[in-house]
Amino acid sequence: MAEFNTSIKNQGAVSIINLKGYLDAHTAPILENNFVDLIEKSCYQIVVDFKDLAYISSAGLGVFMAYIEKIRDSKGDIKLSGMSDKVYNIFDLLGFPLLYEIFKSEDEAVKKFTEIK
Amino acid sequence: MQDNDNLKAKRNLTALVEFSRVINSSLDLNFILNNVLLTCLGKFLATRGVIALNISGKLQIKSYKGISEESISLFPNIDASEDCTENDELKNFFTDNNLLASEKISSSNECVGIVCLGEKLNKQDYSKDDLDFLKTILNIAASAIQNSLIVEELKLVNRELDSRIQRLSSLFELSKEFGLFSESTKVTRLLIFSLIGQFLVQKYALLRFEGNDIEVIEPKLPVEELLSNLRKIDYHRIDASLNKEQVALLFPSLYSMGIEVIVPMQIQGRTKGLIILGRRINNVDYTDADIEFIFSVGSLAIISMENRRLFREALEKQKMEEELDLAREIQRNLLPQKIPVYKNFDIAAVNVSSKQVGGDYYDIIELDNDGCVVAIADVSGKGVPASLLMANMQAFLQVICRQNVPLDEATGLINDLISKNTADGKFITFFWGILNNIDMTFKYVNAGHNPPLLIRDGKIIKLEIGGMILGVMKTILPYRSEKIQLMKDDVLVMFTDGISEAMNKKSEEFSDEALEKLSLEMASASAETILKEIQSEVQRFTDGANQSDDITLVVIKVK
Repeated sequence: MAEFNTSIKNQGAVSIINLKGYLDAHTAPILENNFVDLIEKSCYQIVVDFKDLAYISSAGLGVFMAYIEKIRDSKGDIKLSGMSDKVYNIFDLLGFPLLYEIFKSEDEAVKKFTEIK
Repeated sequence: MQDNDNLKAKRNLTALVEFSRVINSSLDLNFILNNVLLTCLGKFLATRGVIALNISGKLQIKSYKGISEESISLFPNIDASEDCTENDELKNFFTDNNLLASEKISSSNECVGIVCLGEKLNKQDYSKDDLDFLKTILNIAASAIQNSLIVEELKLVNRELDSRIQRLSSLFELSKEFGLFSESTKVTRLLIFSLIGQFLVQKYALLRFEGNDIEVIEPKLPVEELLSNLRKIDYHRIDASLNKEQVALLFPSLYSMGIEVIVPMQIQGRTKGLIILGRRINNVDYTDADIEFIFSVGSLAIISMENRRLFREALEKQKMEEELDLAREIQRNLLPQKIPVYKNFDIAAVNVSSKQVGGDYYDIIELDNDGCVVAIADVSGKGVPASLLMANMQAFLQVICRQNVPLDEATGLINDLISKNTADGKFITFFWGILNNIDMTFKYVNAGHNPPLLIRDGKIIKLEIGGMILGVMKTILPYRSEKIQLMKDDVLVMFTDGISEAMNKKSEEFSDEALEKLSLEMASASAETILKEIQSEVQRFTDGANQSDDITLVVIKVK
């Protein structure tokens, strides 16, 4: 079975979820739980870092769609960073760059949140 | 002058070589066109220029300088034919925008596009030399432009291919995840995630039909409004996917909720649910291929859910059968475990229940004063309710036999109790009697049961005296009893309709006549032999047909 795990750290008010491994239909619920937890704790400024992610499927992408509305309604956002070309290609294919800000590095994404303030 | 011309020609040549090197070093169309245009403008000191390319047979402006966007938007829609520069609309466009020189970009077999340039800064007309030079530049540029066009097309094809591969891998992944053992909530969740991830949707709902009910799963649409709109239409009949136009046309109320696609989830052509999706956030319409994909994923999901349901049903059925086995076991234990032995009587009895727990019952209850009560009963219906009533009956019987109440009166009491305890039209046919080992009498009451046969001297006497079947109403007319003086070699055959009505594969009944004939023939044998013979004759008759009813048989032989 493909491995997938996440780790969460906080940088100021921004929560950073680091994804590692394969995010697919099988593992999507793990990330889903992360979002649910963060929303419960009213952490709406979220950066998802993809630098250790090897693969994402549409079920994985669906998790982002499922929670973005709620997070943006709460004046927050999900920003994405550190994608490999392969992962970016899938985001791009499905039109995600229109809806999400995608940054080269985690730091840039975090900085974007602090700039808005 | 000669030197000057030579120098000019040499400079032109150097410029051409450099130009060729630059534009052939790149496959980026914009870079190439930009370079071509800038080179022309620079060479001829022009301040404005346009390049239009042949895109799918039509001329389309791809690069321009010095002309307003508004003017560009008025570029005519014309075919990119060999003589397109002669087109009047195009000429008008040139005049309107003060474009003086135009030249085709031609490859060996077709028009790749055109270049048009505005007036020179020095107001001079374009000389023949200028036009020749322009031609040369464009000849060099043609192959580079064509190559980059092909690369662009390839990129598009590649992207299309990537997107198909991505869809296939989604389908593959989901089919793996939608295994038999997936919880249906997990299946629906994955289905939703995949769809909203694939199509960037935020308004959606998943409906599942259970009979006439609609289960709304994971709705991101106002449920009440959705359901009330759906109920207005024959949603069960939606058996093909509907795209935006069809939804708008057929179900305007749903369309006005922002619903753009309705895709049925089907099993063997029957719609078991619907996938309802709203607008895509990137404002792109769903293509036929998209809808086909949604249909495939939906079918995968519903089949998985249905399989799981069937699997659970099978499990429940199995569990129920185990419980029925247990019930049968309990029921068997209610029947007499051993048959008493008497000086004057030889008794044999059997009960074979059909597949389900049944309603047949017989009992032999020993009395204190050298004798016993023999009873046989058939509770209407089958299954657990019948067997419960039977257990009830057995309890009554055990109690009443100890009370020393006369048989006819006791039958009335039992009837009153049974009537009180049955509500749904259940009844019991019941026959019982007291076998007295001392004076060799048999006193019986028949409450609507198949009359037992008393075989004496080659004749049959049917024991019919009694009254109404038990459980229909309270006792109004008292039951009557009859006392028979038994004689040596008398045979009593008591049975339930499982014997007389046993059916063969041709749906013929074994019949009372056959039983009577057989009983007469066997009258001289022992009780056990008569019993076995009747049983095996019934078995021969049914010849492997399912035993539809319980079979109960009690045979008493007077010694």
